[in-house]
Amino acid sequence: MSIPYELVQRYPWLPSKNDYYSDIASREPTAFIKDVLIKYSNGELEARTFDIFKSAFQNLEEIRDYRDDELNVYLYTILKILLYVLNNKLIANRIANIYSKHSFKLLENESDYNIYEICKDLDINFQYYQKPIEYKLIIDKNFTSSKKAHFSLYFIDYLKLASGLRDDERKLLHNALEKGQVFLRKKELSRLLQELVRKKLIIEENTDVASIEAFKKKLLKIKEIEDLYENILNEWELKKEDFEYSFELQTYQGKELKESFPPCVKEIFRKIDEGQNVIHIERLFLVFYLHALQFSIDDIVNLFTKLPDFDRKQTEYQVEFAKKKGYSPHSCSTLKSLGLCKAKEYHDKLCLEGYHSKKYDEQRKIQHPLFYLQMKQYQKFKPKVKQKGDKKANAN
Amino acid sequence: MQTKLFLKNLFKAYYKENSKNIPEVSQFHQREFAFLPWEKQMMRRHLQFTELDKFREYLIKNAPMHSYCSGATYSTPDNLQMQDKGYLGCDLLFDIDVDHFYTPCKDKHDLWQCKECGESGKGMIEKCPKCGKFKITRLSWVCEECLNVAKNEIIKLVNNFLVPDFSINEDFMHIAFSGHRGYHLKIEDPKLRYLTSDERRDIVDYITGENLSFELLGLNEKSSGTIFGLLKENKGWSRKIMQKLEELLTQDDHYLEYFLRDHNKANLNHNLVKSFLNYKKEFLSNITSKENKRAIWAIEGFTLHKWKILLKAIVNEIGVEVDEPVSIDIHRLIRYPGSLHGKTGFKVQELNYEELLNFNPLNEPNPENDPIVFESKKKMTQKVQITKDLVPKTNIKGETYGEYTLGEQIEIPHHVAVFLLSKGVAKII
Repeated sequence: MSIPYELVQRYPWLPSKNDYYSDIASREPTAFIKDVLIKYSNGELEARTFDIFKSAFQNLEEIRDYRDDELNVYLYTILKILLYVLNNKLIANRIANIYSKHSFKLLENESDYNIYEICKDLDINFQYYQKPIEYKLIIDKNFTSSKKAHFSLYFIDYLKLASGLRDDERKLLHNALEKGQVFLRKKELSRLLQELVRKKLIIEENTDVASIEAFKKKLLKIKEIEDLYENILNEWELKKEDFEYSFELQTYQGKELKESFPPCVKEIFRKIDEGQNVIHIERLFLVFYLHALQFSIDDIVNLFTKLPDFDRKQTEYQVEFAKKKGYSPHSCSTLKSLGLCKAKEYHDKLCLEGYHSKKYDEQRKIQHPLFYLQMKQYQKFKPKVKQKGDKKANAN
Repeated sequence: MQTKLFLKNLFKAYYKENSKNIPEVSQFHQREFAFLPWEKQMMRRHLQFTELDKFREYLIKNAPMHSYCSGATYSTPDNLQMQDKGYLGCDLLFDIDVDHFYTPCKDKHDLWQCKECGESGKGMIEKCPKCGKFKITRLSWVCEECLNVAKNEIIKLVNNFLVPDFSINEDFMHIAFSGHRGYHLKIEDPKLRYLTSDERRDIVDYITGENLSFELLGLNEKSSGTIFGLLKENKGWSRKIMQKLEELLTQDDHYLEYFLRDHNKANLNHNLVKSFLNYKKEFLSNITSKENKRAIWAIEGFTLHKWKILLKAIVNEIGVEVDEPVSIDIHRLIRYPGSLHGKTGFKVQELNYEELLNFNPLNEPNPENDPIVFESKKKMTQKVQITKDLVPKTNIKGETYGEYTLGEQIEIPHHVAVFLLSKGVAKII
């Protein structure tokens, strides 16, 4: 129990929580909650818990009233219990994202000593360097800067922590690996820890509904929790539409687009929608694609707010930059080589079989995701030609 | 069938005489075993042996054409369903097989024939140069040159990656000659056993240099057109590339020109090669200087795209030619050490790193490590008849045999006969 108590209160996902608060791990959950509610009978626990859900549903980038006190530790446990009974992947992803983003912001500003303690508590195989190690030098015209690391992670621990982050820059081959150690700055390490926190909170929807229902019945007998649960569900009802991209995009500029997107685009939206990590190349492709469809910069930026690592300033800059450059979205063959083509997974007939070209009187392949959209829109809105026999059929 | 029976009996005799030399792999009873019999091309898998002696008895009794065990360990390895075997972890496997990459010697000894148009020739091709079809039958051969290439890849893997970058302890590394055209390296480090397939892929990408982004390493072009290159100070792939680039620039012009021009290397056009050679000294002096100018890469004609082509060729030289699916797949089977390879009659020979350095599978001086186990001390010979249109030259034990053509009846040393019969290019008479 060497880790400072204040760190456990700030980061209640740390394993040492169980040493300081052995009552949490050892007690039956409803009995534990009842006790906590007696201890904090002023409604603060429910208010702060609800605020986390509210902030998550409002797609905020940090928790408004996050305090590193004892209540915060209990709150984290109750949060996990609520996510279990809610058994809703989308809600869990929203909570995991906001909670982990908030943790990242706190971690980024921690002292090296505290980061050291946190890594040790998490049993991460790492090294700390009093004198930082310079691992990357950048020369830009006459300006020289360098990246220096106080920390390095054993490559296996690095791989485990980075496994959910599929962006290119986090791949092992783009990092400074030497003697089994991957050198990292505090910010990069904090980002890996953010991902660890996110993974602690995300859930796979539980199919054992009977067990959940039985536990929920018992839990909701506690009046305060029943009210809190109802409030969360009501708030979710109000906000959940915001998390379905179809709502924002399906009637964009008077056109119904949702069903007309090719599988490669739908897949990226699905991931964003679920709050999953989306790799750089997927983001780029989506930005190019939506630019080509004349979406506004604000609309595009807002789509990305659901991502775990959303950074508004950076996203705005990148989206604007992409617009300025006027790049076209990738073609089908490029998407295939990048592993972004999802035609097979979606069993998409138009992608897999192509279409009949009247001009060439032959079956032709779709070669570009923009053409796919055009084709779908055409198929949807083309004037219906009356077939022979229609008249007869109508007459009957 | 007569030939197969002949080979099976030989394998049986070998296992009978040498069963005590068949080693026990670690966590033996938790491995899945699999065999391919001579009689039919159907793998017998999902087998478990609780004792080494039982496994040895199996080999003597059945003398399989190929014998494998899993890189993974399971709580019930004999369960027929993979998902019910109770996966406990998997060693990290690397397979280097010259079948998967180009070596110049293949132009001399590998044969192909198009099933569609009948065209045939030598070398490594993907599709028929005459009709463009992909239906090709191939006869791949072995020679000292390509086996040396495979050996060098293993040495590169150990010396340039596993030890310096991943800090893998040599005691955990198990190297083996595969018995045909390559080598296996198995890492039995307990810390690596729980890596997922995706994490293994990340390691493989690091080792091959596959999917490397030069931009992320620092290569970029400014709006002024100035190109900023990589720096040797930077740890990881950047340093590897710069070391190789410097090494290349200190080579004589003849080699450098070959590297820049050859279609299997950089494949640059004549003008670019000329320009590179002209600027070679100046460029080398720039990139090795202490000043900031070392980051500026300026050679006439070299756009960002051309630099990337050159760097990709350098990455290909540095990266190791490992067979990726073998390392990524956690349920992969690997040849059992000490067993015989049914396509050559050679033994799967375990080697430590020191032994590997001087190892020559086709003419190994150390009898302890000799994978050619059917060499007759009494200089016995065997009569065989060639069953293929053309059989390339074979160099075994310092002697050259062939080329042979269809129908030829020859009397050759016993071990050479076993090799030709196992390769399926001859039958016994």
